[in-house]
Amino acid sequence: MGILSQLILNSLIAGAVYTLMALGFNLIYSVTRFFNLAHGVAAAAGGYAVFYLTHVIGLNVYAGAVLGMVSAGILGYGFDTLVFLRLRRKKTSGMVLLVASLGILTSVQAAIAILFTNEFQTFSADQTIHTVLGGSITSIQAVTVAFSVIITLILAVILRKTMFGKAVNAISDDVEVARIVGINSDRITGQVFFIGSAIAGLAGILTGFDTGLEPSMGMGLLLKGVIACIIGGMGNVYGGAAGSMVLGFAENFGIWKIPGQWKDAISFVILVAFLLLRPQGILKK
Amino acid sequence: MKKILGFAAVILAAALTVSGCTRKGGGETIKIGFIGPLTGDLAYAGANMKEAVEIARDEINGKGGINGKKLEVIFEDGKCDPKEAANAGNKLINIDGVTAIIGGVCSSETLAVAPLAEKSKVILFSAASTNPAITQAGDDYVFRDVPSDTFQAIYAARYIKINLNKQRVALLKCLSDWCMGVSDAFKSEFQKAGGVVTAEESFPQDSRDLRSQLVKIKASDPQLIYFVSYTEASIVGIKQMKELGIKSAVFGADAWSDPKIWESVKSNGEGSMWVEPANKNYPPEFIEAMRKKAGDKVINVYAPRAYDAMKMLAMVMNRAGTDTGLIKKGLRNIKNYQGIADNYTFDAHGDITGASYVVRTYRGGKMIDVR
Repeated sequence: MGILSQLILNSLIAGAVYTLMALGFNLIYSVTRFFNLAHGVAAAAGGYAVFYLTHVIGLNVYAGAVLGMVSAGILGYGFDTLVFLRLRRKKTSGMVLLVASLGILTSVQAAIAILFTNEFQTFSADQTIHTVLGGSITSIQAVTVAFSVIITLILAVILRKTMFGKAVNAISDDVEVARIVGINSDRITGQVFFIGSAIAGLAGILTGFDTGLEPSMGMGLLLKGVIACIIGGMGNVYGGAAGSMVLGFAENFGIWKIPGQWKDAISFVILVAFLLLRPQGILKK
Repeated sequence: MKKILGFAAVILAAALTVSGCTRKGGGETIKIGFIGPLTGDLAYAGANMKEAVEIARDEINGKGGINGKKLEVIFEDGKCDPKEAANAGNKLINIDGVTAIIGGVCSSETLAVAPLAEKSKVILFSAASTNPAITQAGDDYVFRDVPSDTFQAIYAARYIKINLNKQRVALLKCLSDWCMGVSDAFKSEFQKAGGVVTAEESFPQDSRDLRSQLVKIKASDPQLIYFVSYTEASIVGIKQMKELGIKSAVFGADAWSDPKIWESVKSNGEGSMWVEPANKNYPPEFIEAMRKKAGDKVINVYAPRAYDAMKMLAMVMNRAGTDTGLIKKGLRNIKNYQGIADNYTFDAHGDITGASYVVRTYRGGKMIDVR
């Protein structure tokens, strides 16, 4: 049954990209308790960094991808130290942080457009296509799905087993108490921004290889990541991944029977349904 | 929950924009506006047309301008988006006090600005917007020197049915005024000719994932896919067709004359066909002037029409001055004006009366005419 397996693959591919966005967004939310909209532009920046490194400087793809993730991470770390940290020290509300992050999203997006133009950029046209149960998937899409699983697991292990993970959990439970027991919450938050933004960068890089890059791509990726987090459960690593997959499957199977133009509407209807009926998400923190 | 409400409020606030105010007129120059996508979707075409308008402006000013007054062209970015175009139109009409606007490029832009132009009695002259609805959008002050989509869709439908002998066609279109206009006109002509539409799928203009739409189209087993979309989604769609193993022929609309599509999809686009306006024998002086401005970029099919629009406007204004009532009459009376892109005769709706097309294809890394 070709159409069924193809729809399953399409759902997995979409869900994998949403997962990568949701993981970082959720991680940052769990320590800072605000909606970091600048997360979207970290994804775009990652993609463009790779574009620059491989097309302009001529670096090989793998080295470019690693450096692209690092650049996105550094950018996120920069957002935190230059803007959010200062605002947090002034005890500003989550609302102000949210507006500041929207400002960052818009201005960095504009900077990318100035540097690389607004034109749609593509990496490579030729892809190896694999057939799985009658459906097709390209190498880069398979890699995206694999990465979404691997990074979810790595992140879960880090949060559970390492000192860093324990510190993150402590801050996420109560910042004040965490500080009292000697956790440097500002440093940990900076590191969380680095890791979260690097993962977003990976999402941007993989999207770039799969479809292409444009400066405004961050907002679309971000919205789906945020919805996935709310559906899955804010502040829960597995929740972000579960929400992403629910979203990917709902969108792609939803338009099997209704016209494709309603794809985005489906995700927002699900969002509203969850907010009304199960606001804590699929998995509670 | 509070945060989500806040999020919604921020988005709303960002979506609202302020526009205004007083009209200034007269002065030493005659002001003409330009609206087109200088960034975002179709920026390639917008920039190309801007350069063509600049060439026309410099030629007119070089010959002493209009009745001794120099032409000043103010370029605004419509971003191929109705909201942005309406803001740009408001600014040009109310703040700059322009006599005429060349634009928009995307049909959504022109349809958004048309009521403003009509109300303020400012000439709106598009060189690229082809949606059939523009014929009725502003009967007095809205003109275009590019044929309505009805012409190209009918041409494509007959070509596919008769010359290519394809009976089963699937439609894939973006949700913009232009895409839907072409696709709807195609559908009615193709069905009238006895063809079968196996599936009809659409996607938001900025969507970059058409896989599920394509899966449904593939399942309907068409002989050919008529794919109406701008550059960006076309690149993605053509690639994803290949990824999903779709073997049907692919046929596009005139937006596919953008070489960026074929540079991006490379061999994935092998054999794709599309229609575009026939004449491309532009005068060498124009080609040279464009080369100086734009380098070796291929001249977009609409750029020479933008040049012609500026020239026709100047010709009429030489007699009518800045009285838009007289300019309107002058434009409507143009018969057999030989421009660089076409021979123009206007009808009472501000449309041109004829159109000729050619089918093009991408083969072996080149964009070539079919036969």
